[in-house]
Amino acid sequence: MSELTVKSGQGGARTRELVAAGIGKRYRAERRFRIFGLVAIVSALVFMALLFASIIGKGYTAFVQTEIRLPISYDVAVIDPEGVRDAAEMRRANYGKLYRDGIQSLFPEVEGRTDRRLLNGLVSSGATFEIRDAVIDSPDLIGKKGEIWVPAADDVDMLVKGRIDRNEPENTRRVSDKEIAWVDALQKDGRLETRFNWRFFTQGDSREPELAGIWGAVAGSFLTMLVTLLLSFPLGVATAVYLEEFAPKNRWTDIIEVNINNLAAIPSIVFGLLGLAVFLQFFGLPRSAPLVGGLVLTLMTLPTIIIAARVSLKSVPPSIREAALGLGASKMQMVTNDVLPLAMPGILTGTIIGMGRALGETAPLLMIGMVAFIVDIPHGFTDPATALPVQIYIWADSAERAFVERTSAAIMVLLAFLIVMNAAAVILRSRFERRW
Amino acid sequence: MENSHVRDAMHTPTETEGSAAAMGAKIQAQGTNVHYGDKHALKDVTLDIRAGEVTSFIGPSGCGKSTFLRCLNRMNDTIDGCRVSGTVMMDGEDIYDPKIDVVQLRARVGMVFQKPNPFPKSIYDNIAYGPRIHGLAANKDELDEMVVTSLEKAGLLAEVKDRMDSPGTGLSGGQQQRLCIARAIAINPEVILMDEPCSALDPIATAKIEELIDELRENYTIVIVTHSMQQAARVSQRTAFFHLGELIEVGDTEQIFTNPRHKLTQGYITGRFG
Amino acid sequence: MPFSFLLLVLAGLAVISYRFGTARARAVAPGRQSQLHSRPMYHGLYAAMWCGVPALLIATLWVAFQPLLVKGLVMGGLPDAYQALPEARLNLVWNDIRNLAIGDVVRAQPAPEIQAAADTFHRLYAIGNSALALLCLVLAIAGASFALRRVSLTLRARNQVEKVITVFLIASSMVAILTTVGIVLSLLFESLRFFTKVPPLEFLFGLHWSPQTALRADQVGSSGSFGAVPLFTGTLLISLIAMCVAVPVGLMSAIYMSEYAHRKFRAIAKPMLEILAGIPTVVYGFFAALTVAPFIRRFGEGMGLSVASESALAAGLVMGVMIIPFVSSISDDVINAVPQAMRDGAYALGATKSETIRNVIVPAALPGIVGGVLLAVSRAIGETMIVVMAAGLAANLTFNPLDAVTTVTVQIVTLLTGDQEFDSAKTLAAFALGLVLFCVTLALNVFALHVVRKYREQYE
Ligand SMILES: Nc1ncnc2c1ncn2[C@@H]1O[C@H](COP(=O)(O)OP(=O)(O)O)[C@@H](O)[C@H]1O
Ligand SMILES: [Mg+2]
Repeated sequence: MSELTVKSGQGGARTRELVAAGIGKRYRAERRFRIFGLVAIVSALVFMALLFASIIGKGYTAFVQTEIRLPISYDVAVIDPEGVRDAAEMRRANYGKLYRDGIQSLFPEVEGRTDRRLLNGLVSSGATFEIRDAVIDSPDLIGKKGEIWVPAADDVDMLVKGRIDRNEPENTRRVSDKEIAWVDALQKDGRLETRFNWRFFTQGDSREPELAGIWGAVAGSFLTMLVTLLLSFPLGVATAVYLEEFAPKNRWTDIIEVNINNLAAIPSIVFGLLGLAVFLQFFGLPRSAPLVGGLVLTLMTLPTIIIAARVSLKSVPPSIREAALGLGASKMQMVTNDVLPLAMPGILTGTIIGMGRALGETAPLLMIGMVAFIVDIPHGFTDPATALPVQIYIWADSAERAFVERTSAAIMVLLAFLIVMNAAAVILRSRFERRW
Repeated sequence: MENSHVRDAMHTPTETEGSAAAMGAKIQAQGTNVHYGDKHALKDVTLDIRAGEVTSFIGPSGCGKSTFLRCLNRMNDTIDGCRVSGTVMMDGEDIYDPKIDVVQLRARVGMVFQKPNPFPKSIYDNIAYGPRIHGLAANKDELDEMVVTSLEKAGLLAEVKDRMDSPGTGLSGGQQQRLCIARAIAINPEVILMDEPCSALDPIATAKIEELIDELRENYTIVIVTHSMQQAARVSQRTAFFHLGELIEVGDTEQIFTNPRHKLTQGYITGRFG
Repeated sequence: MPFSFLLLVLAGLAVISYRFGTARARAVAPGRQSQLHSRPMYHGLYAAMWCGVPALLIATLWVAFQPLLVKGLVMGGLPDAYQALPEARLNLVWNDIRNLAIGDVVRAQPAPEIQAAADTFHRLYAIGNSALALLCLVLAIAGASFALRRVSLTLRARNQVEKVITVFLIASSMVAILTTVGIVLSLLFESLRFFTKVPPLEFLFGLHWSPQTALRADQVGSSGSFGAVPLFTGTLLISLIAMCVAVPVGLMSAIYMSEYAHRKFRAIAKPMLEILAGIPTVVYGFFAALTVAPFIRRFGEGMGLSVASESALAAGLVMGVMIIPFVSSISDDVINAVPQAMRDGAYALGATKSETIRNVIVPAALPGIVGGVLLAVSRAIGETMIVVMAAGLAANLTFNPLDAVTTVTVQIVTLLTGDQEFDSAKTLAAFALGLVLFCVTLALNVFALHVVRKYREQYE
């Protein structure tokens, strides 16, 4: 009770003193807290920087490929012993012998089976196709001699790119001293160069890293995304329009709404299980097909698009609707002619974001068999195919060192696609952003 | 046109005030201007707040009463884009001086808001919050005593002493507002600012708060913003009338309500606008 | 005729019908346009719909059910010796037939009856496709001519068109429901089949998981190799590590962004943080497996600890980083929902910024933050690629973050990738795991959304 009678002056002075006494400590705590916050943000950003740096650092070399210039004698006896110049027949010829002869001719001093085999191993087995295609393209090469650039084997490629340490002891190194000497000799002669790796962008998968490309995966992703877009966009917009403009507010629409929100949070792999059980097992659609991938990703992407489209429809002011109805338009006309065009930028932005997420999605595609080893480029919606992120997963699982570089490069390509898509979404949003 | 007319008239009362009451002034504002971005919300206000008195601010809504009130404990610092110029002296010190620390200033100038805003904590913790952060209590017993004293002063003790641990948000509106007053006086400030403390309350709760303000006057300098002229007349000794960001007239409450010097003041208190 | 070509032809026919429809509508009312009930455009749309919609419906149904039909016919035509085979063997036979027919490489010379069945398969498909094409064309043309004949002054074409569109809208909104139903049914159905082979209690509470060793039928269940507890603990351990990273970092970032950061800093840092959410998980997985795990291993060994090369720590850390933007954006929402009055109350008492945040804002926002964290947990539990690539397959029952553990999602992927016969206990186990995953994440989400909604209402 004594406090009650204290005059304000004295009480105030005591407060002032005590506050002043504690203030230094409190400001130090303040500073610490602030620094924690900054550290949190900075550490997240540093992690991201490390991630990008590590992937670019590992992957940039995949855009070039070590190649060897071999002298080839296009021997008639090997290519076309019957002399009929039949393309199908010529495809089956033993071109391996030609490139092996070529590399042997550069090192005539190499003797013995093991050494020769080692020497042959400098060149990728893909040289076969390189020479074959050259011959099929211009059959008049046959019987002549010529030079041709062929890809080097992955170990040589890694060595040249400095990914294999020359100073490591020989018994733990992937390439022997002999091979290093040959490579150096080839390099000195100007017969070994790193050149732009066009195969990486034009070829399908391969067991040989130096021959493996992403084109098959990109084509698979494209087909899958096409199915996803063609299905999820109309379905998503239709659902949003129905819920936002037509549906009565009742139990049933509530259920639909709750259901959509929950679907958005279901782990993607569950959609894969759905695809496996329903599309593959029940309906018997083909495994590994972009069609099925697209169906699964559609179901996964739909909630995103629906939610974005509803937000966008909601933001169209009621005055627009009233004006349209006032002019005697039917409700459907009002929606299709007045509301949807105004909501479209927002809907498209949401769709792009949803498609971006679908493009990076891997897990559900594993469930429906798109993880198979597929060399051929898919041309239709039911051809066996893989997708870019799945290709990344497959390569990341491979043992060869050279696949690390390919994987990182494929990641860079995937990220590039995503950046383009998101940039498009950002531009679309800022270009059409309307303030009512 | 109206504006220039107002500006001329304004200087008469404030200038005479400035010289007359300098010795009893707890707070002296001199040429205070406030901008919110481009908006000039408070224009050149010069006003003294006397110690140990209740001063009320009246005026139509949007005229800058709250803005001026918030200048007095630098609450405007928390608003993005708000600039304050001019000087506000408290006990002869400019509170906008860079050397002045807002934390210490606000410990001396408490504030009660229009809408009761108890923290989502127990009643006890609500009151104890100020003393705790400022380290005013040396031990638990002292803190208990502070809490009890403040509740007592705020006239809330009898109603809540059995449920000190229940959440403060569970009280009625009037109780919440008295809780907020108790929270403010727990740190024993010198000045208490109240921004329309009764506007969200029913008449009975309002009467209690007004009674409380009258009691608190003994120990604290009080500034109250109010929408209700009757309230200003009931609780305050001095009244300041604001209009469109300007201080039009300030004087003893009696005089303002019975014999306003300015036409605008007269118009407002007779209910012709506002 | 390939299906996509058929679709193109149908689309073309629909466009032509549209043209005819509008033209006819104009023709029936020369100079009396205003007397048409609906504008010519709607007559066109009306015709196009009659042309395209029935054919499209039939085509879709056909494509969906043709494989079932063909399978029934082909398998029904096999000799009795085959009919008597158990279901699992029959499925293998069916696979052989299909591979043979599609032209995939087949290991050995096929038995003559298999070859015959494959031929039947081929023939049925060929017949089916031509029949479908024919049927569609007939339907399209019949529909279009029916519609065109009905074009008149009084035809309420617009109403008809709008009715069809409304039906389409309603049907679209059913897709979401059907998806959920499909998920629940397929998971339940396959899980029940699994539980006939392995008792549910053993699955849920068994401590030993090694499905790869359960090769023979008599080993299944009796050997107890389908005890999923190690997977649950592994999932929990990794999620816990992820939360230990994501919650403090995400929450502190959100606090710093919304309470301290300058506008310019926020304008840059916020979208940067959101990039983390846009990186595909397979990229995180690669980074975790190739960079973080070896780093942790080397670091741990430098300190004399034994660290598994696929440690739970690496996967958990990276997953945590992935979830940071999720936690921070939810925290940001929640913190901004705390009314300004609450902050004002604290500031007016002379609290510093951090005191206001720690003592007032965070406690006030706590229910919302908890809801957000639960949503993040459900993310972590369902996350697949990071753990598949970085956590490995060892089903260890441990809570040591330096050991290797495996998770529910990893096992689902492992059990279902590669060539598996569909009805084996192994593949069915994946569905049982999927069911558990679905139930847990659904429960977490429903609960978390409820908490968050209650929180929002409190401050509205
Ligand atoms: N945070 C703010 N940002 C911008 N303008 C403000 C802000 N707060 C108040 N204002 C403006 O300043 C003027 C004075 O406001 P205020 O002091 O709240 O008036 P009163 O309390 O007298 O009703 C009003 O016109 C109001 O619109
Ligand atoms: Mg006000």
